[in-house]
Amino acid sequence: MPFAAETPRPATQVAPRTPPAGETGEPVLPRADVVLAIEALTKRYGSLVAVDGISFEVRRGETFGILGPNGAGKTTTLEMIEGLRKPDAGRITLLSLDAVRRRRAVQDRIGVQLQSQALWPELTVEETLKTFRALFKKRVSLETLLERFTLTEKRRSLVRDLSGGQKQRLSVATALVNDPEVVFLDEPTTGLDPQARRSFWDLIHDMSGEGKTVIVTTHYMEEAEALCERVAIMDRGRIMAMDSPRELVRGLDFDNTVECTFAGAVERERLLALPAVRDVKKENGAHLLFTTDVSATLAGLMGLTDGSGERVQSLQVRTATLEDVFISLTGRRLRD
Amino acid sequence: MNVGAFIRLVVTQATIIRRNTGFWLSSILMAVISMAVFGWLFDFDTQAFDLAVVDEDRTEASQSLVRAFDGLESVELREGERDEEMESLDHGDRSAVVIVPEGFEDELADGSASLVAYYDNSDPIRIGYVTSTVEAVVDDFNTRVAGQRNAVSVERQAVATSNVRYIDFLTPGMVGMTIMWVNLGVGFLLVTWREQGILRRLGVTPLRPGSLIVTQAASYALVSLTQVVIILTMGRLVFDVTVSGSYLWLAVTVALGVMTMLSIGYVIASLLETVTSVNALINLVAFPMIFLGRSYFPLDPPPAVAPLVSAIPLTHLNDALREVVNNGGGLSDLWVSWAILAAWVVGGFGLSMRLFRWQ
Repeated sequence: MPFAAETPRPATQVAPRTPPAGETGEPVLPRADVVLAIEALTKRYGSLVAVDGISFEVRRGETFGILGPNGAGKTTTLEMIEGLRKPDAGRITLLSLDAVRRRRAVQDRIGVQLQSQALWPELTVEETLKTFRALFKKRVSLETLLERFTLTEKRRSLVRDLSGGQKQRLSVATALVNDPEVVFLDEPTTGLDPQARRSFWDLIHDMSGEGKTVIVTTHYMEEAEALCERVAIMDRGRIMAMDSPRELVRGLDFDNTVECTFAGAVERERLLALPAVRDVKKENGAHLLFTTDVSATLAGLMGLTDGSGERVQSLQVRTATLEDVFISLTGRRLRD
Repeated sequence: MNVGAFIRLVVTQATIIRRNTGFWLSSILMAVISMAVFGWLFDFDTQAFDLAVVDEDRTEASQSLVRAFDGLESVELREGERDEEMESLDHGDRSAVVIVPEGFEDELADGSASLVAYYDNSDPIRIGYVTSTVEAVVDDFNTRVAGQRNAVSVERQAVATSNVRYIDFLTPGMVGMTIMWVNLGVGFLLVTWREQGILRRLGVTPLRPGSLIVTQAASYALVSLTQVVIILTMGRLVFDVTVSGSYLWLAVTVALGVMTMLSIGYVIASLLETVTSVNALINLVAFPMIFLGRSYFPLDPPPAVAPLVSAIPLTHLNDALREVVNNGGGLSDLWVSWAILAAWVVGGFGLSMRLFRWQ
């Protein structure tokens, strides 16, 4: 499937917010289209609560993103779903199975790419895929995998001799050897150059096109916007908001952000009083003005600096993005 | 896990070990170099040894036999009483005690006298040389003095291992040492995999820790068997060291040795986090084992450390290997060593299965 990151995905039907069912104590009968149901999932490390009672559902065929800064609890959440860590509380129902108790049955039907590429440097491409294939009941043919990930010519090369992009493709290929129904990708594009990131997005779109459910964590908001039908924004172990990227942005009470710096100090109250400004945040010496009307705010800003000695040093106007959603929810940026 | 998956995982892991050339080559080189150095350069067999002669006959004939032992470059001759000299032999201060019994001269006159030679059979480094020296002296005495080939015969005592040269002793020890090095190395491999995230990656597949360990053991056994064949072939071709026992018992012993050392490697990998600390601990465990476990030299440990020495798995691996290779031992000679190794395997794997971590 040809892919253009610029093409907005069709607006999806937003899942109705169901109350966390685990709290009622009643068994949840998974609906046919729900592939993954998380209820009140909790993980603590000592006094640190890494994942704090989160609940969400992912439907079959959906590409679901978990967006948040480092340390938000994204990876811990995935690791509990994948069977690497035991939850302290809560329930995970994956493919209609209890993912904690029926761990291996679940693992046979999912595909996982971890943050580290985790390949044996001593093996060839072909040996790597054969080894991973051997671990599962259902297997995609070796030739199909090699062709699909354009590794046919490299099949006899040692992993240690592959380029970064080739390793990345092989790593995804190992996650798909069992033709999984659900694919988990943990920060798959961290450390990739922009071009490699784009071609990786293509791969994810292909998986989605085959009807696979894709669950991806990222701290790149543009990635979440480009890939995901729905996004959960996570911070400090909690889900702050969950919806389609478009709805999340639309839910903001402003449309644009004006980012400006001044020579000299400007009181926050004066900026807040500017026309159409809903809120003001200070970030690394810059002021962020959240506005419903860019031209009115800009005109006011110019008027403000005309009268007094303050001079605008830099000025930037942006359409509101998921980043702004995150800032408005947490007061911080995704990446500091 | 089905047969296909089992074979694939064994092949994969054997391939990984094989491509880590330095890993398996260094251990086998250590054995080969040791055999070359001790087999050729340091020839223990020509060093002087203490020989005591007890003359209980005290006649001219017996005295002339005693003189025949004197003046040999390779012999430190001592004369004394039977009780004292036998005690010295017990303490390892004599390599052999030759008794010229009362009535020697009379028997010699009748044409068939005999001597009793007691050997220290706990010293396989020199025993072959000692026995052949004594016999050479007696042969010389027979032709030169008695003028008759079989006038004096030597009755050997306390010689269980006949004509074991040092290289015969060393070769099974090198087999044991190589098995130890390679298989303790599984700890290193496992921690490397954990550091590289490979264990985590395997942990999100349906693979069970038990299946990983079993296939790993099978691939290490393959590698170890290959190394054993290389060392024994070299011993056979270059030093004429023969396997006098059954190859089946040899294979069983090797397999038990592999499992024992793997289980220790797993426990080490479960306890420690980093590659460097695992490396250090493996060395810390391995070097005392090599010496206390008698890979290079026989050892008569003082009572204080004797229990430690007999608890060391390499001691029993080496014992069992020597029993098969040197003495042609059978089940009745092997079962004790096997049982102790098996106890290590059960304990080690039991512990490492409990401690196993994917990350």
